[in-house]
Amino acid sequence: MIQPILEQCVEAGADAKAVADVGVRAWERVTSQFAPLIGEGGVDALYARSLHLTRSTFPWLAVPQEPRQTDSPYTDLKLSLERREPNEAREAISALLVTFAELLTALIGETLTTRILSSAWANGGPDENAQETLSNE
Amino acid sequence: MNDKVSINLLPTGVPGLDALLGGGLPEFSFNLIAGNPGSGKTTLAQQIMFSLANSDRRALFFTVLGEPPLKMLRYQQQFAFFDVTKVNESIRFVNLADDALQGDFTRLLDRIVDEVETHSPGLVFVDSFRSIVPATERIRGGPAGLQELVQRLAMHLTSWQATTFLVGEYPESEMETTPVFTVADGLIWLAQSVHWNSMVRKMQVMKMRGQAQIPGLHTFRITDRGIHVFPRAIIDAGGASQPPGEVRMAMGVPRLDEMLGGGLPAGFSLLVAGPAGSGKTILASAFLTEGARRGEPGVIAAFEKSPKQTRSRTLEDLIHKGQLSVIDTRALDLSIDETLYELTETIRRTNAKRVVIDSLSAFELALAPMFREDFRESLYRMVTVLTGMGVTVLMTSELEDRYSDLRFSPYGAAFLTDAIVVQRYIEVRSRLRRVIAVVKVRGSFHSNELREFEITDEGIVIGDVLADYEGLLGGRPTATATRPNALDGTPSTLPVESGAWERS
Repeated sequence: MIQPILEQCVEAGADAKAVADVGVRAWERVTSQFAPLIGEGGVDALYARSLHLTRSTFPWLAVPQEPRQTDSPYTDLKLSLERREPNEAREAISALLVTFAELLTALIGETLTTRILSSAWANGGPDENAQETLSNE
Repeated sequence: MNDKVSINLLPTGVPGLDALLGGGLPEFSFNLIAGNPGSGKTTLAQQIMFSLANSDRRALFFTVLGEPPLKMLRYQQQFAFFDVTKVNESIRFVNLADDALQGDFTRLLDRIVDEVETHSPGLVFVDSFRSIVPATERIRGGPAGLQELVQRLAMHLTSWQATTFLVGEYPESEMETTPVFTVADGLIWLAQSVHWNSMVRKMQVMKMRGQAQIPGLHTFRITDRGIHVFPRAIIDAGGASQPPGEVRMAMGVPRLDEMLGGGLPAGFSLLVAGPAGSGKTILASAFLTEGARRGEPGVIAAFEKSPKQTRSRTLEDLIHKGQLSVIDTRALDLSIDETLYELTETIRRTNAKRVVIDSLSAFELALAPMFREDFRESLYRMVTVLTGMGVTVLMTSELEDRYSDLRFSPYGAAFLTDAIVVQRYIEVRSRLRRVIAVVKVRGSFHSNELREFEITDEGIVIGDVLADYEGLLGGRPTATATRPNALDGTPSTLPVESGAWERS
């Protein structure tokens, strides 16, 4: 579900900054759907675990930058994506989202996870194309 | 015209709970589910929620502190009632852990109120309420502040027409002092009691404003279907519509009917006592088979080790044809009420007239140890409830092979039952023979003879009175002078001798 959405979101030839922008927005949209259900604490814990797992392939992902930026919990994630090649950045943020979804599936089941993920896009996705992609699945 | 407000009662969807609450859950009531950790509070709350929530009556479930929601969702999904399709449709989970962690109770209350105003739920759950209390006590100067906040919450949610449940862990010592308990309309207390190695869950409706709840502790069980409550049977003073004794039930053993004075009075309880292998179960089977033949459905609660193996072909046929229902007695740590609930439900469903409990000895072993202590009292309650429904009950009881005294049951069940039939072994000329006697039929004439009987392919065949022997109950009879060979012949079909009758 996640892979095609991101592919649709990011136009071919977009630079890494655009990829990072769209990717982090998608991430925030997904986690904001889960926050009421599992709490901010739950989301933070799953983010940390997802990062840990994804870093085996993308060791640079969301490595804390100096000086620390505190305006968003995902600033480090965004900055790390902006510094990579667009394709690699897209693969990394996809992997992070997929890992997050897999963790949730393992913990609360596929039906419930899919249900909440769907509502992340049903309530206005990253863009209209993404919504179409979802409904075409 | 009736100007009084009528309170709508909601069915909780928890088997047995509505009866406990006095008919259901009053709509817009403000309730508390309290108990120790692991006592099933969240399960009870969610079972009620999933049952009641629909598109017209949406539910908000606030998770505060305590069990992390990830875990709660993971484990609650294992229950059959957890309908994933309702999540984010008619049921919305809202986590308030962050507000609670900051100890800002006013903000917490505002969040709840905001969500309630946004979603207009018919049902609100706060789990767990207890976990936010210590924070409040720090900030707002103790219980007075808390009471005010709970009052506000109760008032607000009632005026928003929401039926509300606060879920909380409370040690029993706080029961009297916690202000929440005063404010709440309903108070359901869950407990686990451990006795020896067994654990028994109990529920108590301590308060249900405006409702005639069933008082006292009631057992419940948590299975993959959720919670099932077994309300402690209260003896209905009204009793059976028909006084027992007017109609007689055939036992399926012809001469036994004669001995009983024309069959067993309907609505009576009969105890069949005898040592192992003396034919108690066979007598019980004859009783059920005869019932089926006469269009009187039966129910059997068999507590023997493997009921399937010991059940006769005839009974299997009856079960197959739907003329006999079986109570599942595989679970251990049973309570009498759980068994009685199953029995009464099955009797109502199948319109059964005959009930067999085989045997009391094995039943006692299947019970959780804590219930064995008051087995006699519970047995009395069970027999009274069953006969009060108008059914005729046959219970078997293992009797020790003791020949020095005459005992019918280790539980004093003899005094609880209306009729008693006893089976004994006796030794005659180095052979083991069986005798049967009717000891008691309340308010009725019955035979007082000891008669020999045999177990044949056709079942129990009762023979003659052993008139020429004495000392039968001692197990080693001696022949009297007149008819020394009375025991050598085959069982005869002579009628019961006149003069051998008495009235219990």
